[in-house]
Order: sequence, then C-alpha cells, then structure tokens
Amino acid sequence: MKMLRFAAVGVAAALTLTACSSGDDPSSDPSEAGTPEPATIKLWLNGTDTGDALREYLVTTFEAENPGSKLVIEEQDWSGLVPRLQTALASEDQTPDVVEIGNTQSATFTYAGAFSDISDLYEEVGGAKLLQGFVDAGIADGKNYALPYYSGARAVFYNKDMFAAAGVEVPTTIAEFGEAAKKLQSDSVSGFWFPGQDWYNGATWLYTAGGDFAVQEGDEWKGALSEPKSIEGLEQVADLFANATNAPADSDSNEPWVPFNAGQAAMFSAPTWARWSIDLPQCNKGVDPDDTSDEAKALRGEQQACNEEHTGVFAMPGNAAGDYATAFAGGSNIAVAAKSKNQDLAKSLVRIIYSPEFQQMLGENGLIPGNTEYASSMGDDVYAQAAISAALNAKLTPAAEKWADVEGDRILEDFFQQIATGADVAEAAAAADQLLADTLN
Amino acid sequence: MSALATPPAPAPHGVPEVASAPARPARRRASAESGRTASPLARRLLGLVAVLVALAWVFPIYWMINSAFLPLNKLQAPDPTFLPFGGTLSNFRGVVQDPTFWAAMRVSLAVVVIVLLAALMFAFLAALAVSRFRFRGRKSFILTILVVQMIPAEGLFISQYQMLDGWDLVNKVSGLALVYTAAILPFTIWMLRGFVAGVPIELEEAAMVDGLSRVGAFFRITFPLLAPGLVASGVYGFLQAWNEYTLALVVMTDPAQRTLPLWLQGLVEANRATDWGVVMAGASVIAIPVIVFFLFVQGKMTSGLVAGAVKG
Amino acid sequence: MAATAPAVDVTGAAPVTPRRRRPPFGAYGLLVPAAVVIGVALGYPLVRQFVISFQEYGLRQQFGQPAEWVGLANYTDLLTDPYVWTVIGRSILFCLLNAAVTMVVGVALAVLMSRVGKVARTTLQVSLLLAWGTPVLASMTVWQWLFDTQYGVINWVLSEVLGIDSMAGHSWIIEPLSFYFVATVIVVWMSVPFVVFSVYAGLLQVPEETMEAAQLDGASGWQRFWGITIPMMRPVLSIVMLLQVIWDLKVFTQIYVLQRAGAPTRDTNLLGTLIYSYAGEFSKAGALATIMLVITLALTGFYIRQMLKEDEL
Repeated sequence: MKMLRFAAVGVAAALTLTACSSGDDPSSDPSEAGTPEPATIKLWLNGTDTGDALREYLVTTFEAENPGSKLVIEEQDWSGLVPRLQTALASEDQTPDVVEIGNTQSATFTYAGAFSDISDLYEEVGGAKLLQGFVDAGIADGKNYALPYYSGARAVFYNKDMFAAAGVEVPTTIAEFGEAAKKLQSDSVSGFWFPGQDWYNGATWLYTAGGDFAVQEGDEWKGALSEPKSIEGLEQVADLFANATNAPADSDSNEPWVPFNAGQAAMFSAPTWARWSIDLPQCNKGVDPDDTSDEAKALRGEQQACNEEHTGVFAMPGNAAGDYATAFAGGSNIAVAAKSKNQDLAKSLVRIIYSPEFQQMLGENGLIPGNTEYASSMGDDVYAQAAISAALNAKLTPAAEKWADVEGDRILEDFFQQIATGADVAEAAAAADQLLADTLN
Repeated sequence: MSALATPPAPAPHGVPEVASAPARPARRRASAESGRTASPLARRLLGLVAVLVALAWVFPIYWMINSAFLPLNKLQAPDPTFLPFGGTLSNFRGVVQDPTFWAAMRVSLAVVVIVLLAALMFAFLAALAVSRFRFRGRKSFILTILVVQMIPAEGLFISQYQMLDGWDLVNKVSGLALVYTAAILPFTIWMLRGFVAGVPIELEEAAMVDGLSRVGAFFRITFPLLAPGLVASGVYGFLQAWNEYTLALVVMTDPAQRTLPLWLQGLVEANRATDWGVVMAGASVIAIPVIVFFLFVQGKMTSGLVAGAVKG
Repeated sequence: MAATAPAVDVTGAAPVTPRRRRPPFGAYGLLVPAAVVIGVALGYPLVRQFVISFQEYGLRQQFGQPAEWVGLANYTDLLTDPYVWTVIGRSILFCLLNAAVTMVVGVALAVLMSRVGKVARTTLQVSLLLAWGTPVLASMTVWQWLFDTQYGVINWVLSEVLGIDSMAGHSWIIEPLSFYFVATVIVVWMSVPFVVFSVYAGLLQVPEETMEAAQLDGASGWQRFWGITIPMMRPVLSIVMLLQVIWDLKVFTQIYVLQRAGAPTRDTNLLGTLIYSYAGEFSKAGALATIMLVITLALTGFYIRQMLKEDEL
C-alpha cells in the first residue's frame, strides 16, 4: 500500500500540470447549457480507486466552469453501497447528485427509476467509443441512464522462475494456459491460483467458450449455464479446479498474491494494481514500513524492481493464438440521480468526467477509462498492455433488472464452489439455471 | 437482563432491615466462597478449570491484539506467530495518527452518550410506571415491548430512513441516537422494571414521614439503590450503540459523520482488504473504550444483576 | 386492575397489595417518553413493514411507483416455497440447539464461578467480559481467521501439533453441518457471558441457610443443586432462556460473516440471512419478518403464558 501511495504522488504531480493547462479549453464553456443556478452538488465515489489528484481536478474544474457552485465529493464503501443508494437516492434532500455505481448493480437501479435519462449526453461524451458492456448495463427502454466510468483491468501474473524451471512458455491460447497450469501444478504449488468461489475468473472460460450466465428471451430471463457452449467452458473450469490448483474451495478472489508470495502458486489472475502487493521472499529487503528515509525509499524501489523482474504478466489468451480471452470486467458506471434538484449542474460534472483530460487521468492512474479512445493513456509497459488487451475484450454480467439479487443470493459463488468440490457440471448447471431464472424473473 | 422476572417485592417490615438490602449480595458472596465445596484440593482443581476456561474464552481476543502487532508477511504465513515479539507498533501508530479515526470516535461517543442518557431515563420512568402502578393496559404494554424484540430488524432501515429524512435528521448524531434509543428501550425497560420493583416503596415513604419531600425521598433513597440496575442496563445499551453497523450505514452517509464501525469498514476497504494488521489494530483500539467502561462498572454490574435478578 | 383509590397506606406494611393505587394518568405520564420514542422510531417502521408485506413493494416503489395491494401473495409465495420451509426448520433446530448449549455452558460456568477462589473467579469474569465487550466486527474477523482453511490456527494446531495430517487445509465451513458447528461455537462464545453473569448473580441469592439445612438432612450436592438451586432460580433461568431463544432465532451477523468467508450460501442460510437476501424486495422481507414473529411466539408462547399466569410479567 505504501508503494501505491508513492505512485499516486507521482501521478498527482503529472496531473497538476494537466489541470493547469486545461483552464482555457474552449469546449468546456458552461453557457452552452444555459447557466444553471449556483448550488452545491454532491458526488459519491466508491472506495479509493479515484485518487486524490483526480478528485481535486474534478472539484477545481467544476467550480471554475460553474462560478458560484461547489462540488462536494463523499467517499463511500463498496460493501455498504447498495443500502445507502436504496435510501439516499430516494430522498430529495439527501440524494447525491451524481453517483458512481458498480457495473453489476447498475441495471437494478436503472430499471427502478433511480437515475435521470442522460441519453442526450451519450454522443457528446463518446458514443460508440464508450465501453459497450457498461453502456448496456445502464440502458432501460432504449434510453441511457448510466454511462461507463472506468473498468478495472485484470491480468495474469506468473512466477518467471517457476516457468523456467518447469520449462513452460507464456501460453498463447486459453487451451495452452490450461496445459501450462497443469504442468506447473504439484502438491505444494498451484499451477493457477483458482479458489472455489472465484466466479470472476471462472467467467473467463465460460465467456471465452461462447457461453453466458443468463440470456433474455422476450420478457423472460433464462439461465444459460446448461447451454452446450457454457458447459464446454465450465468443463474446462472443472478441469482446472481438479488438476491445476490447490486453492481452497471455500475461498474467493481476495488476496491471490498471498500464496503467490509464499511460493505456493505459479500464476494468479487479478487487477493490475496487484503488482504493488507482490512481495517475493528473495526480494524482501526487510525495510521498516515506517522508515521514510531516502535510503529506505531506495531499498523499496530495489525491492519493487526485483519483484517485477521475477514476475511476469500477460493478458489471458483466447481460443486462437493472437486472440484474447473474453473476461468478466469489473468497474463502475456514472449516473445522475433522478431526485437531484441540480440536473444541469450534475450534467456539467458528467461532461467534465468525460473530458479528455480526466479520461486520461483515469488511464494514468491504472484504470481503463470509460471512453476507450483514451485507453492508451495507461502507458505502454507490460501491465498496461495486458490490461488494455484484456479490457477491450471484456464482457459484463447480464444486464438484468434483478441481477443484484443474483449477487445478493450468491448463486454464482455457490455454483462455482460446487464445481470446485467435484459436483457433476451438467447437474450443477441445471440447478443453477433454475435458481437464476427464479431470481431474475 | 434477568431482571424481567421480578414480581412486586413483598414489602419487608421496617426500614432497618430493608436498608441493609444492598449489602446482601456481598455477604452472600462471601459465604458462597467459604462453604459448599468440601476439600481445598477440589477447590483448587476447580480453580484451575476456571482459569483454563478463562484462557480459552479470551483466546480470540488475544489473537486480535496479537495480530495487530504483526506485519503482513507474518500474519498470513503457513506457521502462525503466537507471540508478537519483534512486532511492530506501526499499525497502532497508523490508527492513532489518523484524523478520521478521531472524528469517528467523537461521533460514536456523542451517539452513545445521548443514547445512554435518553434510554436510561425514559426506560426508568416507564419501569417505574409498570412496576409501581396498576393501570389499564399495563400488561399489554409489557407484552408489547417483549414482542417488539422478537421482530427481526433487518428490513426496517427503509422506513426509519424515510422518517429521519422527513425530520431532516439524516447525517445527524441526534437522528442516529433517536433510532438507537428506540431499539434498546424495550430491553432496557424490561430490565429496569425488575430493579425498580426490587426497591421497596416503604423505604421512600418512611423517608417522607421523616420530613423529606416525595422528590427528595426518591432521589435520596430510591435512586441510589437503582444505580446498579442503571449501570447494568447501561452496559447493554453501550454495547449496542457502540457496535451497530447497519443503521449507521444508511443514516450516516457523510464521511465526516461516520461512527467507528463504519470507519473500521472503511479501513478494510482503503487497504483493499489486504493489510489486516492495521484493521486489527483499529478493532483493538475501538474495543478499548468498551472494555474500559466494562471494567469500570464491572463491580457494580454484578451486584446490579444480583439486586434485580431474583424474585424478592 | 383497580387503580382508582387515591389513598396511600403511609403507615407501613402492605404485603398483599404491594402496588400503590394512584390515579392512572400519573402512570401514563411516566410511560409517555418511552412510548413516544418506541412508537415513533420503532413502532411506526414495524407497522409499516407489516403493511407493505401485503403490497408489492420493491425498489421501483421506493423510487416513486405506486405500491399495489397484493393481499396475502407475499405470504403464500414464501410459505409454498419448500426452500423457505427448509430454512425455517434449520433455524428452529439451530436456535434450540444453541440456546440449550448456551444455557448449559452458562449455568455450568456460573456454578463454577461460585465455587472457586477470588483470583480464579476474577480471571474468568474478566475474560468473559472481554469476549462480550469486543466489537462483533472485530471478533468475527478473528474467528474467521482461526478457522481459516489455509492459515487458520485451528488447522495448524490439529495438523502440525497434534499430527492429524488430514486437517491441513481442512475446510470447516464448506459442509453445512461443519458450518453450523463453527457457527454454534461462535454464537455460544458470544452469548455465554450474558448467561453466566445473570445466573451467577442469581446463585448468590440462594440462601446459604437453606443449603446448609438440606446438607444436614443428608442431601447430596447434586440433589441440592436440582432440588433447591434450580427451582429457586427458575425465574432467572426462564427469562434468560426466553431471551436466548429470541436472539438465536434472529441470529444474523455470525452466519452472514461466515457465509462471506466462503461457505455455500444457499445450504447454510438461516432466517436472519434469508431476510437480508431479500434486499430489494421489501414486501417479501416484511412478510418473512411477520412469519418469524409467529414462529418466535410459537416457540416461547408457553413460557410467556406461564409468566403471565404467575404474575411475573
């Protein structure tokens, strides 16, 4: 985490420059929407993904473009977001004006009528260049209610020494990936760290084989896990659970770098910021985390360089060489609250979020910006390349009104866990399909 | 707690005997210590058992504090570290130097103080009514506050939020304190009922005969006898208000108004659920006021339970 | 309930009619603050929860769509779902088992406490207080670690210290029965302190003279315990038991956290977590809350009637 903060300082310095230079940008003239009444508006951002520098940029730019108005940013926790949105968004006095919402939660609130129609902004902020899956999650009755904010980028991390020792090359297809993982697997080392409840990663095989969780037929949702293509992907998942991992079946996608650092896993898949959590024993210099001397900083730098030297990273490959797998994309959307009394100001903020400057700042911060045109701002190191490749191919969970209930009931966690404990794939899929249909309709 | 069972105390005759009532528990305890078990050897064995049980019971708490001293790589190692030797204080330093922690501490303390004062005062008055008077609706009232405790509260937050919103009490200490007070009042009334019934009315009346006013008699005679009961109920209320998460989550959305449980959850997320040593340090520090309050009132609470727990 | 006579017998003893007879409005006046707070901040939401259990009320209604009356549909939906019945059955079993274990352990420790020296007693008291007073958020995280599959101390002790190799990497929560075992350990750990302190306080009140007399009559320690101590403490025990049943049927936090730690959710749901999972379907959650109230009353009705009869209420 310390490393993250150091990185953020660097980004902050870079951003201050961008912020200064954007002051005279003619495209952000507020008069085009008529000057709204000055007011204070509230933006809810979740977790710490949007760093301080980005927040500062939003506040400064918003207040410069809307003289007399103020922007207050309140940080919310992901874990408590849904109950808060259920209550606050329904209150005229308390509602935040603009909210960030998890992409899998987006459809539920969109259908419930919690957000304002912002279709008129769609073309202006990027149109077809916006991350399509995220746009879909914010559409109801053909109108846009929520637009993509950023996508979390995932990549596969691997231990280069273990690859060399086992004579394994970086895989170029998803089938080769499975082979490599099995080859690396031993009693003490997991070829691929794949915990039983990790449906985020499991979705990669499901989607890449052409399957899905659920599909809409007319007005009805139908579980799609028993479709032949889905089953094909799920059989690969079952194979990995059985032959390529020692990860416990009762664990989820949290902290996969812990076994990796302990030498108990040769590969894991995680958001690219996991690079800051890699701490291989052979690289650890034993620096006191409180030590802020130059010497300690230098040692920490060496440590990070050493870690990255021994760790490789690649985007999960697809069915054919040169393709990328279709993976589940985490990330979030931006929406304007329907009950907000400051619709114009809220839209002005949304425009700032989609300004090239801010989109690039998101990319520089390691996030895939909602407008893919600016994805290159993530840089060109291996992490960024892996992240961008993965993200452009990413897919979301079905944009069903009641998808949030599927997550609330933890149907997918249960389902993948059943596969991990050796249940018959077809039977488990049929049962899960039934639950999905019951929940989504 | 168990105070609820206490029926109207059969009035003892004469003040002196009654006045010695609060001393009874102590005397009884002394005798309980002295007798009953036969050999000193058996007693010592039982004592050993008690200490072993105590150690087993406290182990999870020890583990929490131990973890708070450990750096991350020791925390999630194949072999556990049982003693925090060579441990780091940096986790605690991080918590104590965090201004948001102190802000949350202030909010939590403010909420707890209001809740305790309001709940104890209101519950006390209600307890006085149901144990000192017979009136139409008395049993219904008592049954209602029992039944209310049986209804799960997980689904209430929507209505509670709307109500607070209507009165502009969202993101306010007073709003959160209001819903907390309502939540713990039924239990507190149940408990205090027993304690009030345990104080014989004749004590007060005798004092009035001696020339004190009714109010004076009440505050000089009855109130002190109720102190243990108030303390015992207060402990329960303190714990509830201090640890509550779900309601605080929806009522206190402004980061500046976070209570400690919300702050702790925020700490988990800010560390992307990776730096557990910091989280455990936070949890340990949060637990300190509770434990201090507990140990501070422990003696009184035990006698409080004694005074109220048993039919007179 | 004759509450009309204004006269108070100031002269002293009134052993048969201990309650003062006063104009009732005095009593009502004392009830007002508590009744207002409970009525407004708890009663109103409870009534509203009950009302919407007869409506279709979900997230859409929360955002302004009119709520339709659906009669008993939410109730029939729930009660015709075999899964709901499974969860009800599980919850009742879990509740009764936990309440029983908590009571047995609590009473045993209270008796133990009354028979040991001061040092041992204080040690036990302080450790129970610590367990009771630590924020649930923190203690649940620790319990989760202790039973953790990979790094848990319990698996480590069993496999490395006691040499049971199969326990290395053993998952405690993936099988429902094992899950409920862990949940029971945690719930009992958290609930026992309350029972111990209440019962210990009660034990202190059993008159020494009675016990000595019984001893002289030749009653064994066991006989004295069952013949004198338990009957004398019946009020305390039944109240504590009643509260345990109420609380254990509603148990939520411990189950929820353990589920999030990696247990199969559907196989381990109890009523508390099932209600919570109806996050956006407020009317269904309301209906289930009413059903839970009925179950609790069915489980405790006997006790409550008994108490009413004996005028303990």
